[in-house]
Amino acid sequence: MKLGAFIPELLRHLFKKPATVDYPFQKLEVPKDFRGSPYLRPELCIVCRACERDCPAEAIEITAVNEAEKRFRMVIHNDRCIHCAQCVDSCPTEAMLMDTRFEISDYDRHNLKMEWEYVRAVVKPRSEAKTS
Amino acid sequence: MKFQIPIGPQHPALKEPISLRMTVEGEVIRDADIRLGYNHRGLEKLAEQKTWIQNIYLTERICGICSHSHTTCYVQGVEKLMELEPPKRGLYIRTLVAELERIHSHLLWLGVAGHEAGFDSFFMYTWRDREIVMDILEIITGNRVHYGINTIGGVRRDLDEQQVKRILDSLDILRQRSEYYKHLGTNEPSFVARLAGVGYLSREDAIALCAVGPTLRASGVAMDVRKDDPYAVYDEVPFEVCTADTCDVLGRTVVRIKELFQCYNIIEFLLKNLPAGPVAVRAPRRAKPNEVVSRYEAPRGENIHYIKSNGTDKPERLKVRAPTLGNYAATIQMLKNGFIADVPLIFAAIDPCICCAERAVSLVDARTGQEKIISLNSLKSLSLKLSAGNKRKREAEWPL
Ligand code: SF4
Ligand code: SF4
Repeated sequence: MKLGAFIPELLRHLFKKPATVDYPFQKLEVPKDFRGSPYLRPELCIVCRACERDCPAEAIEITAVNEAEKRFRMVIHNDRCIHCAQCVDSCPTEAMLMDTRFEISDYDRHNLKMEWEYVRAVVKPRSEAKTS
Repeated sequence: MKFQIPIGPQHPALKEPISLRMTVEGEVIRDADIRLGYNHRGLEKLAEQKTWIQNIYLTERICGICSHSHTTCYVQGVEKLMELEPPKRGLYIRTLVAELERIHSHLLWLGVAGHEAGFDSFFMYTWRDREIVMDILEIITGNRVHYGINTIGGVRRDLDEQQVKRILDSLDILRQRSEYYKHLGTNEPSFVARLAGVGYLSREDAIALCAVGPTLRASGVAMDVRKDDPYAVYDEVPFEVCTADTCDVLGRTVVRIKELFQCYNIIEFLLKNLPAGPVAVRAPRRAKPNEVVSRYEAPRGENIHYIKSNGTDKPERLKVRAPTLGNYAATIQMLKNGFIADVPLIFAAIDPCICCAERAVSLVDARTGQEKIISLNSLKSLSLKLSAGNKRKREAEWPL
């Protein structure tokens, strides 16, 4: 047993750069597959409601605006979303995607809502969804 | 003269709500009693209302640190219920994330042990190096804490060449750093003196009280679900079960450091032998009526999920036994005849995750000892009534 086994390491660190970054001024890159917030590409959505059914947080809400014109509205409640990307996996047409934003906090939870109003798309679904 | 002193549920030394009633003689603890139930999770009930897929994300949120342990345990059980055979590559990636999680959990624990022993620079250094693992996890799964990599029938994301190389490179740094911590953990005299002999749990007691995980292995019992009842691909991976025979907190530290090195070897093996092919198979939405018990060696010990299906797309029952619950009985034994000053250290040495083991709150009348069930709203009004008498608190204003 020797005394002060830690001292050389401590001294070495006097001359090292800090391990952290100056966060608000300097930001770390997020990896390309980072799970940020989900967003919809309405031109691809066939309103199959798979995302709404599988979302564990009940954050996706699809309502019919006008049945005859096939107009629908999708609301993603980002305040409830747990950023799991299950909706992306469930979507058969890749209409749902994740962005890489991470600074999404707000003073009012209602500002976190995202909504789209669109006409149902006619796209052929992928032969097999990753998980359904 | 004997005194009873309560520690917790709110106490600076314990970060989570749990209450210890200790009978002390001077500084020495003669008897201890653990009271649970300060945290209402309502999780098992919630699981009955969610579909098989939604429950993956629910079980993931049982614990922040062993999130992958709970999902794997759950998903394995559901795969058995649905009679699915996940592809090899999927199982390899699942095991890889499991071992990365073990590294991050053990490094985190080492830091906590350093902190509780009053060695805060050790705490900061281990946590800095833990960031390396967190970054790897973020790269391969898309998030640092809740990886969400498991799905029923495999995993959700594949690995590419670049990621494999990145992980292997980082492993070298981690190995080097762990080597240093091993050296430090066994050579720094004040650290060793603080940990040695504290929280003694004999081999017989550890077995009799059903301790799990590193706590059990530090008492010289080589028990590990990965070896005894291999799941995923552990039957193909060479590794050793690490034990120590000092039966104290120092032993628990040594076991965890040794396990770190095993993790590095396992990860290296997995990456070098990664089979090609798909990562997941398609899962049905329903499971036939049946029941299953799934076991998993989490960083803290054996994790058990019991799942019962009834033919619908939701489970009929999900019961979770988190490893911390298995260690409580042994903790009482460790506390006995110890000093009050050792309580945080002994408690931290089982790596407690109290909120994972908690399920529901029961209200007990302090005078009559009677239990009652009340609604959330009446609980709220009850607490408002209690604080109503405290005017200064209710009308406090920010002084600046
Ligand atoms: S990311 Fe998860 S929680 Fe958020 S909307 Fe999609 S499925 Fe729901
Ligand atoms: S799963 Fe895709 S296609 Fe179906 S409703 Fe959702 S976004 Fe539209």
